[in-house]
Amino acid sequence: MGHAQNKEYSQRDYDPIERDGEELISTHCCFCGMQCGMNIRVKKEDKSVVGVEPRYDFPMNGGRLCPKGVAAYRQAEHQERILHPLIRKNGKLEKATWDEAMDLIVSKIQEIQGEHGKDAFGIYSGSSMTNEKCYLMGKFARIGLGTKNIDYNGRYCMSSASVGFNQSLGIDRGGTNPWSDIKFADVLLLAGSNTAECHPLSMPYIWGARDRGAKLIVVDPRQTKTALVADVHLDLRPGTDVALANGLLHVMIKEDLVDQDFIDNHTTGFEELKELVQSYNPKYVSEITGVAVEKIITAARIFGQAKNGFTMFARGVEQHATGTDAVSSYTNLCLVTGKIGRKGSGVATFTGQGNGQGGREHGQKTDQLPGFRKITDPKAREYVAGVWGVDESEIPGPGLSAFEMLQALGTEIKGLLLVCSNPIVSSPSVRDVGEYLKSLDFFVCMDMFLSESAELADVVLPSTVWVEDDGTTTNVEGRVLRLRGIDRTPGESKRDWKVICEIAERLGRGQYFQFNSPEEIFNELRVASKGGIADYSGISYEKLDKMQGVFWPCPSEESEGTPRLFEDLKFNFPDGKARILSFEYKGPNEKTSKEYPVILTTGRVVFHYLSGNQTRRIDSLRAFCPDPYVEIHPKLAEKYQVSNGETVKVTSPRGSIELVAKITKITREDMVFVPYHWGKTLAINHLTNPALEPKSKIPEFKVCAVKLEKVKQTVGEKHG
Amino acid sequence: MGKVLYIDYERCIGCKACVIGCEECSGHDHLSRMFVDELNPGETVATSPTPCMHCVTPACAESCPVQAISIAADGTVLSASLEKCIGCKNCTYACPFGIPKVDDQKKVMYKCDMCYDRTSKGRPPMCASVCPTDTIRFVDEDAMKNEPPKPVQFKWDFGGTIIETRTVIGLPDTETNQFGYREGEGV
Repeated sequence: MGHAQNKEYSQRDYDPIERDGEELISTHCCFCGMQCGMNIRVKKEDKSVVGVEPRYDFPMNGGRLCPKGVAAYRQAEHQERILHPLIRKNGKLEKATWDEAMDLIVSKIQEIQGEHGKDAFGIYSGSSMTNEKCYLMGKFARIGLGTKNIDYNGRYCMSSASVGFNQSLGIDRGGTNPWSDIKFADVLLLAGSNTAECHPLSMPYIWGARDRGAKLIVVDPRQTKTALVADVHLDLRPGTDVALANGLLHVMIKEDLVDQDFIDNHTTGFEELKELVQSYNPKYVSEITGVAVEKIITAARIFGQAKNGFTMFARGVEQHATGTDAVSSYTNLCLVTGKIGRKGSGVATFTGQGNGQGGREHGQKTDQLPGFRKITDPKAREYVAGVWGVDESEIPGPGLSAFEMLQALGTEIKGLLLVCSNPIVSSPSVRDVGEYLKSLDFFVCMDMFLSESAELADVVLPSTVWVEDDGTTTNVEGRVLRLRGIDRTPGESKRDWKVICEIAERLGRGQYFQFNSPEEIFNELRVASKGGIADYSGISYEKLDKMQGVFWPCPSEESEGTPRLFEDLKFNFPDGKARILSFEYKGPNEKTSKEYPVILTTGRVVFHYLSGNQTRRIDSLRAFCPDPYVEIHPKLAEKYQVSNGETVKVTSPRGSIELVAKITKITREDMVFVPYHWGKTLAINHLTNPALEPKSKIPEFKVCAVKLEKVKQTVGEKHG
Repeated sequence: MGKVLYIDYERCIGCKACVIGCEECSGHDHLSRMFVDELNPGETVATSPTPCMHCVTPACAESCPVQAISIAADGTVLSASLEKCIGCKNCTYACPFGIPKVDDQKKVMYKCDMCYDRTSKGRPPMCASVCPTDTIRFVDEDAMKNEPPKPVQFKWDFGGTIIETRTVIGLPDTETNQFGYREGEGV
């Protein structure tokens, strides 16, 4: 079939085991952007979910799963699922009927919009939903509610990569190549990505390249498991990526390791870059980044001399006040050496959320319409209005980005619908976010578990877990995949797309939301995306089943999709040339000071996903990592006289939390690391800096300045 | 000879997918039999998984007073028979690798049987099926022992007693890369 190119690495020649009285639902994981294939074991008798069985024939992962993937199904029968609507009465969330909840929601929407205007009701959605739901949210906001204010949690995740790719390559598909291409690389440069923990299923591909002799360069302030096996570990100070990338470019240009033919014929901007990076000599870059001069030179030579290679990065590069500069600067490494557009060469960002790719393509971003169209583009507006059957003037313009929207709660925005997201854990400076949410006149939340955010809502609607619905997602490679669901909705839970259609109906906008299945929504999405950058028009559910996924763009029925971008070396600009953009190093928004002398960086662990609303509830995952901790280098710990296991208070200008110290040499001496998957008193996001990247509006989660204090525990307290 | 587990230490990321995956084999009663250890805590993040080593002459079976541990025709050392096991822990003390666990409430030993429920149907064990990094693989025993792709070990010296195991360990290439097995390799 079309995509057997992965076969050598991932697919395995085994059939899954089918057990008596059970059926296997072949679907994909609900967690990260790898979207690993898996079979869910369902009892025929009562449709209960009983386990997971490897899906050996799926090309991306060949049945392999990380611990989150193995345990994902354990959400389905979880006792903490919300099984009926909840309405706040006398300050408490109490069981209610769907009619009561829907009546209240509709009357509040009408009241708020009547009094304060259409834009006073906002939607904050998420990227762990299917393409169908993401598309529907964008449509419902614009022509169901008529509000400009919709944005989503991908703003915290993929937005810098998106802006960076668009400004450098003219198109934002997270991976320019299918993952099977990775093993043909001669060098892999992974920056700001703890691939082993955050995208474990990329590791067989990296090992595949290593087995063929590829060199591995890892850019990370911590010696993660990924960095541990690298040939060169560039252990930079958090927030200095632009300087490091410029330093690597400086060495490559100076030592003539660039591909001048490629630069001349397929790019613009090289001369400006050459000029700018002249001052970024290894010594200067070493001073900024803290990386040894020899390591910078060695890495630049390895990358420059290799015939084929990838630059791959993630949130460590992107979640900064200069995140888009860093994305373009790392992309430059491939552009000046001509490593793009063929097997073994390309650029990629590791998508964090399950549908982080598809979720940013079809209109739930505030500045965007389906097919990656700009909401300010008159032609795009006209086309989408035609598909939706409305007048162009009925589609609002761009609204507020995710964090700006939260800041406007209670003032510009009086009512909020929160779907598939938990911003009171995942946002920066979460104490303020709690205040923003509490200042709303009306707050409705859809979720399957009572998240920390849902606890603050006026109405909570019970949605289904991922394996109870059909739909599609688009993975890290740009491969559109088919998710299959079980035909069940436990208790009174409802699929969220149905609820949205019902609210639209009650608002008198039902004629635009006549959908009976996710496939019907998808078929409208195909038309709405036609002719756009992310063109899905040639993708049908049938084709997805037959081909085990299709890479976009897929502009016609005959097309088998586009696994590899830029094979013709034509980039998505009118002149067909990629843009080499040059940026000076500016550094993080918040610098360390006498009062706050240590850098705090945050990240993920392999056992948890995003805000932890799902994974913290799964016993087996929680057991491996029940609480957050602070990683401190022994030398820094000595300064504060902290021993392993003792409690440390970490404070930034915005807040403080107490954490157990994990003393380890894997981290730099001038920083500490804390994972972010917990809420309330355990949320490290009390401390993080809400400084937004000016272009992508991503908050600077990856650097802020903190101070440490050892917490003295008395014996009485310990036993009390 | 049949297929065995091959463990390539340097690829382990410590994610414990094998530990949770082990619970998913139908014959395992949701009790994991897999171990993952930190090799050098505080110094590096190096980890390694340990399933049953499936000794050619298993001390666990030899020490069992009620012959509850049998060896399948393909050489797999099975978990204790529920009917026979008395939970005496002889096997736990006898095993040089510390593999058998005992459920104190049920008074029964349980250990890796290489997912006999799966391997007897020609499928790989759960740990080798799910391992996201190919650290744990299900391979042909003869080929791996006689023509390994890298240095391997399957004979172990316990104070002069040589024990041969069917599980094969791939040794990390510490000549060209340290992989975190030595002191003082932090950033």
